[in-house]
Amino acid sequence: MSGAAGSGAGSAGSVGSVVRRFLVEYGSGTPSRLKVLDAYLLYVLLTGALQFGYCLGVGTFPFNSFLSGFISAVGSFILGVCLRIQINPQNKGEFQGISPERAFADFLFANTILHLVVINFVG
Amino acid sequence: MAVPGPRLRVAAALSVLLLAGAQALAPSHRLTARDLARLRAALERPFADVQAAFYSIVGLGSLGVRVADEKAACNFIKSHVDSSSVDSLFYAAQSIQALSGCEVTISNETRELLLAAVSEDSSITQIFHAVGALSGFGLPLASQEALSALTARLSKEENVLATIQALETASYLSQQADLSGIVEEIEDLVARLDDLGGVYLQFEEGIETTALFVAAAYKLSDHVGTEPAMKEDQIIQLMNAIFSKKNFETLSEAFSVACAAGSLSRNRYHLPVIVVPDGPAAVSHHQPVLRLQVTNVMSQPLTQASVKLDYAKSASSKATVLQQTAFTLSGDVFELNFMNVKPASGYYDFSISVDGDKRFIANKVELKVKVSTEVGITNVDLSTVDKDQSIAPKTTRVAYPAKAKGLFTADSHQNFALSFQLIDVNSGAELIPHQTFVRLHNQKTGQEVVFVAEPDSKNVYKFELDTSERKTEFDSASGTYTLYLIIGDATLENPILWNVADVVITFPEEDAPSTVQSKDLFVPKPEIQHLFREPEKRPPTVVSNTFTALILSPLLLLLILWIKIGANISNFSFAPSTIVFHMGHAAMLGLMYVYWTQLNMFQTLKYLAILGGITFLAGNRMLAQKAVKRIAAEQSSRLAKYRTLR
Repeated sequence: MSGAAGSGAGSAGSVGSVVRRFLVEYGSGTPSRLKVLDAYLLYVLLTGALQFGYCLGVGTFPFNSFLSGFISAVGSFILGVCLRIQINPQNKGEFQGISPERAFADFLFANTILHLVVINFVG
Repeated sequence: MAVPGPRLRVAAALSVLLLAGAQALAPSHRLTARDLARLRAALERPFADVQAAFYSIVGLGSLGVRVADEKAACNFIKSHVDSSSVDSLFYAAQSIQALSGCEVTISNETRELLLAAVSEDSSITQIFHAVGALSGFGLPLASQEALSALTARLSKEENVLATIQALETASYLSQQADLSGIVEEIEDLVARLDDLGGVYLQFEEGIETTALFVAAAYKLSDHVGTEPAMKEDQIIQLMNAIFSKKNFETLSEAFSVACAAGSLSRNRYHLPVIVVPDGPAAVSHHQPVLRLQVTNVMSQPLTQASVKLDYAKSASSKATVLQQTAFTLSGDVFELNFMNVKPASGYYDFSISVDGDKRFIANKVELKVKVSTEVGITNVDLSTVDKDQSIAPKTTRVAYPAKAKGLFTADSHQNFALSFQLIDVNSGAELIPHQTFVRLHNQKTGQEVVFVAEPDSKNVYKFELDTSERKTEFDSASGTYTLYLIIGDATLENPILWNVADVVITFPEEDAPSTVQSKDLFVPKPEIQHLFREPEKRPPTVVSNTFTALILSPLLLLLILWIKIGANISNFSFAPSTIVFHMGHAAMLGLMYVYWTQLNMFQTLKYLAILGGITFLAGNRMLAQKAVKRIAAEQSSRLAKYRTLR
């Protein structure tokens, strides 16, 4: 991901300008495939955060359910990040033997195992 | 009966065993006169057959008792013997030998039958019965042949009963034959006995076998003239086991115990001695003589023995009060006047030895003897002591068993005090009995409070009642109390309960109690309600439903973002592998749902394996096709770039 790291000059405006610059670069420089994946990652993140917030607010009564849901979110996020790294064309040099199709197959397989365990634990 | 005697002795012997470890065991069981009567009754049943007749006649003979009607017994045997059976002939022969004046003639066929049975091919029981029958009828017998047949069979039949029968058989054979091989079997059998708690020794086959063994071993040893290879402790343990059986279910059991009793009281080597006190083992001024019954196992007095006291030590101070004194024989019991040495009251350990015959075993006995005395109370002073010490205490002397006249008071300014001395009436020495209690009994409410009077250094007993200290014991109930003095001890012949005086006890008013209720321990207690586990606190359903809806909102966001980014499925190729892959994947997700609701892990794994396999193969194919397409596209684009560069 091409991100220009601008040095903040100490005023709030520069933070805002860095963020804006980042968004622009992101929008233009990232292949749409990766953007799709990023949207998925955002979704998983929000789901996990909402679950955690609920648990903090209301109580951990069926603790196993909370754990399984939260870990499902965390695990999916991690697997998604792995997939993103592996299919990013800029990282092609580091993943010579792993084609994007192979990465996707690994992603599906790992998710299956993760969700098998999650469903076992959710109760 | 004198049952406490042996028990006391066993207890004393065992405790000495713990300390010394080398002291001999004391017999714990014997045949008392009552046991003997029971045994006789068991044996004196009317004869059912020749075997029963044998058990009765020979058993009673071992006890030294003759059969009631010998002639009838003789006729019974003669009419019931079966001349074709070796066993029947054996029983008949042995019974006839025990009866006096009973003759029977033996035909040649019977003799041939018996002689033929003495061979290596017959069992040991057959050989035993044949040899016994030949010997009982007085017929000649080839001892050497019998011995070799016996030895040959012994190597084949290893069980205990067979070996015992071999011992019996050998006792009928001539002494010229070399019976040492059979005699050695006694030692082997002793090794096979089971030791039960160090007190009993018996075969696992039972008491009957053990008793038969003892009888056979002594019979053979007497016949051969060698001492049986059994140690004194083993003999006593065997005795304990055999004579522990007091009820006999079968005639053969009674017979075996009778034979064992007979052999243990009349053999050439070992005579166990039983020493039992006649009555309780206690002496006092009224009963100064200690009487001992010294008998053999069948409770027959051994009047020829000389009984000696080795030493008598006080149990508490271990000082020897008497030693090396002989008991005198008076009728059937041995006596010793112990009070001649004027012993102080208490318990004494006696060590007694019985001599006079080299065969005596278990002849050193430990006995615990109690010396009792009478107590007298002297110098009984009742006084009321003023707490401020301003008035001199008023003391009244009382003499037992009179009661003090007048009332004594104990209240907030006065304490009540009692002092007395206890002496041994016969010797004048001071006594410290175990129980010296002062009991105060409220005449109105029935309450009683008991205190212990303690002796001071000069052995004067003192008791003081301070109302302020003792109000909890009394529940602050004021009133007239009767004062009793209770003196008791195991060595006192005259325990004392003496109403000494009446005491008026007054407690301060503010502590006046409500009516005293007797504490009833046996009313129903309050019921305990079981607290079931409280269910966990849950949020209201509204909240959780709201959250469920909320959690779906990121999904909505995802879809919107995807549409915005332009994700589409325009590249979807309807190849069969693609369809199979997507169906399989959907099925796997469906399986997850079904797993959540219904299945267990094993079933799920089974289905997952099938679906996963299909999905994997289809997916592999699909992704491979995509890869090929991608590589082709990349190559063509590279080619195009290359061309434009050129």
